[in-house]
Amino acid sequence: MIAQLIINSIVAGSIYALMAIAMSIIYKASEIPNFSQGEMAMVSTYITFILLTAAGLPFLLALAGTLAFAFILGFLFEFLFIRRAKEPNLLGFIIITLGFQLVLYGFAGWKWGSDQRTFSLPFSESEVIYRTDSFVLTEHNLASILIAVAIMLGLYLLLQHTKLGLAMKASQQNVKAARFNGIPTNRILGISFGISAMVGAIAGVLVAPISTLDPTMMWDPLLKGFAAAVLGGLKSLPGVVIGGLLLGLIENLFGFYISLEFKSVVAFAIIIVVLFVKPSGLFDKHYVRKV
Amino acid sequence: MKLKKQYFEDIKLFKTTAGLVWSIAFILFLFILPFILKTYYLSIINLMALNVIVALGLNILVGNTGQISLGHGGFVAIGAYTAAFLLQLGVPFLVTLLIAGIIAAIIGGLLGIPSLRLEGPYLAIATLGFGLAVMVIIGRMDVFGGRMGMSVPKIDLSWTGLKYDESLYYVFIIITIIMTIFAQNIIKSRIGRAFQAVRDSDIAASVTGINLARYKTLSFAISAFYAGIAGCLWALYLQFVNPGTFSFMMSVLFLATVVLGGLGSVTGSILGGIAMTYLSLQADNIIDFPIIGSIIQSFSETFMNPSGIANIKWVLTGFTLIAVILFEPLGLNGVWLRIKRYWKLWPFY
Amino acid sequence: MSFFKVENISKSFGGVKAVQELSFDVSKGEIFSIIGPNGAGKSTVFNCINGLYAVDQGKISIEQNILTGLKPHQIARKGVARTFQNLELFKYMTTLDNILLGRHTEMKAPLWNILGLNIKRSRAAKEEVQHRLKAEEIIDFLDLEKYRERPVFSLPYGIQKLVELGRALATEPKLLLLDEPAAGLNNEERQDMIFWIKDIRDELGITVIVIEHNMHLVKDISDRVLALNFGKKIIAGKVEDVLQDEEVIHAYLGEAIH
Repeated sequence: MIAQLIINSIVAGSIYALMAIAMSIIYKASEIPNFSQGEMAMVSTYITFILLTAAGLPFLLALAGTLAFAFILGFLFEFLFIRRAKEPNLLGFIIITLGFQLVLYGFAGWKWGSDQRTFSLPFSESEVIYRTDSFVLTEHNLASILIAVAIMLGLYLLLQHTKLGLAMKASQQNVKAARFNGIPTNRILGISFGISAMVGAIAGVLVAPISTLDPTMMWDPLLKGFAAAVLGGLKSLPGVVIGGLLLGLIENLFGFYISLEFKSVVAFAIIIVVLFVKPSGLFDKHYVRKV
Repeated sequence: MKLKKQYFEDIKLFKTTAGLVWSIAFILFLFILPFILKTYYLSIINLMALNVIVALGLNILVGNTGQISLGHGGFVAIGAYTAAFLLQLGVPFLVTLLIAGIIAAIIGGLLGIPSLRLEGPYLAIATLGFGLAVMVIIGRMDVFGGRMGMSVPKIDLSWTGLKYDESLYYVFIIITIIMTIFAQNIIKSRIGRAFQAVRDSDIAASVTGINLARYKTLSFAISAFYAGIAGCLWALYLQFVNPGTFSFMMSVLFLATVVLGGLGSVTGSILGGIAMTYLSLQADNIIDFPIIGSIIQSFSETFMNPSGIANIKWVLTGFTLIAVILFEPLGLNGVWLRIKRYWKLWPFY
Repeated sequence: MSFFKVENISKSFGGVKAVQELSFDVSKGEIFSIIGPNGAGKSTVFNCINGLYAVDQGKISIEQNILTGLKPHQIARKGVARTFQNLELFKYMTTLDNILLGRHTEMKAPLWNILGLNIKRSRAAKEEVQHRLKAEEIIDFLDLEKYRERPVFSLPYGIQKLVELGRALATEPKLLLLDEPAAGLNNEERQDMIFWIKDIRDELGITVIVIEHNMHLVKDISDRVLALNFGKKIIAGKVEDVLQDEEVIHAYLGEAIH
């Protein structure tokens, strides 16, 4: 049984990790926790659905279209709103992202209605790939894990081995110095938001088949992703991945062995305890201001 | 221009006679409303009062002490459920009200403990988790009616000689006025100053003798107290409580109310509470607005699913929030201050 | 019997030894200066005294009261006040509120009483007025009347430094720690600061410890001087002796002051 639990944990954890990565990319670049990420993912997932059903596009094409849409959505959000904030402080940015979340939520309900739809991917949740006595691995499970790993690898390569990644890291560490070196920091920030939105969109596409497609579908993954990011340390990409996996593990183990109902509460409780001991998360450094 | 003659004038409730006169006029206006308006409109004002009370408390925490809470719905829920429970047992109203507030305050103080170590998004997550945890825990406890919730009995207001709805309205208004005065006094006192010191520089605050732990905890407790009081009244307003009522979305809207109204100002909390209630209730009626209404109507019919028009309130609320941060970070209170300044300098601008 | 004693304190951050086995004492009513090149550990010493850093070893005491191990706000209540090198002001509060905040430790009205703040006879109201008078004395002393109601972030730098000084004075301290009070001031402002520091000692009877880089100021006001380098004491003593000391000169890589 424990093997099945671990599989479930990794799957759930991968999705949380994706949301956490999306959150961390933006936080590293701008110190903003982007609460609208869930709804951006949700809207992107609807776009995939429309491209698949109404436009009848093959899956990969629909996915490509969605990613393009998500990138533009994220970029525009930064360009139109975040950049225009006058006296940016944390609370102000949180409110902007919450506001955008409400706008997207209302938009989705308005345009597509709040009834749930079924969303299916080429790899189904019931087709079993691998079965042993102790666990079952479905196509969807495998796909989720592989896709998550692929994204993490892709991001790692992007950040460590491309000029864009270098520019992103530079802008995040010292905006002025980056500008003096010719890096268009505003555009880089927009691109960061765009990339984050793309990662979120993929998370959404993975969530919809096992959950549902409706305007509220990403609320839980967003919160869990955020919690996982905080647990792992918002500015550390490997940290948030581990945070996501840990969260998936804690939830599923607790849910199975102790109580299904309280598993989310326990997850949050554990995060708070961790934060007490390490106020900036497991893998992030905590800086005390020098006077 | 009125010159102050005594230091006491700085802490008096109304600094100018104009302020005093307008406030009394406004209060009298509120008091005669039941004789003019239908009960439906009175209940809208009741909801505004509830939002104002929560905003007053949350503003002290967020605006004055510089903390953050994404879980204030949880405190309102604690107040509401405590009230429902006690009222069903027959505990008198005022006692219930106070107990609801105090229990919320105690739990609020507990939530202050993580705030001693956490900041910014980390604190946000901790409070968010708290809010969720409260709802999940309450929702599972049978003594609170589990998923079905509990009904809230009416309180005995027959001694006023008025209809129940009208008497309840007066109760709400009077309590809101009292809570407003308290909030104003807290902010103007040494406690309020200490809160602002914690917000502006906690290092300097501690070096000047302010016990950070005590004041951060106190700020959480006070804001939770306000939420608890509002919760008790909320239970009476809805006449029913269930776990779904006090959600994460509600906590978000509370925070939005404070920012919309104006951080750190009592006027802001009042304006924010009124505006946010109006937005969430009446936004659907935007179709009836003269020009904008028909534009939105046709937009809705061509591009959208017209039956989902009710969702426009989210869109409008969201854009309002974004607009506030982008254009007037001090919120409605900031707009009001601009108007006053403009007015005062006329015609010399 | 020393008024203020620092005994053998050390403070390290990871591998960096910011302060090493430092001891000195200060007599009541003295103006005592601490000098040393940048990075010598001067501000660290202040932070240790205030309790912002916990010392790794050693003892700090004022009038026989032990300060080491106490929290910053408790140390403040023992009579130690401080200004900061980079100004730690309450930016969004007015000058008056900043200074009134210094009175915080003396104000005792409980919460329930504060709810009735606008009742003239209430204890809270009377306390506010009484301490407002005290704050006005300090505003008067530092010539800050013009800036009373202005939010501090809008004030010129020199005035901001005075506000911070006022806030420290409002706590009615026995010991005042000034971290580079002359930094960023022009000649005239610096002269005024010299007068004020002397006045604080002469009129208010407060013992002052000053960290300063400006040797003219140090020469002008100090009774005794401590020179630090790399967290260790080089020499402590009378101004002329310290400033002529070879090692001190060497640490600064400058010439002896004549």
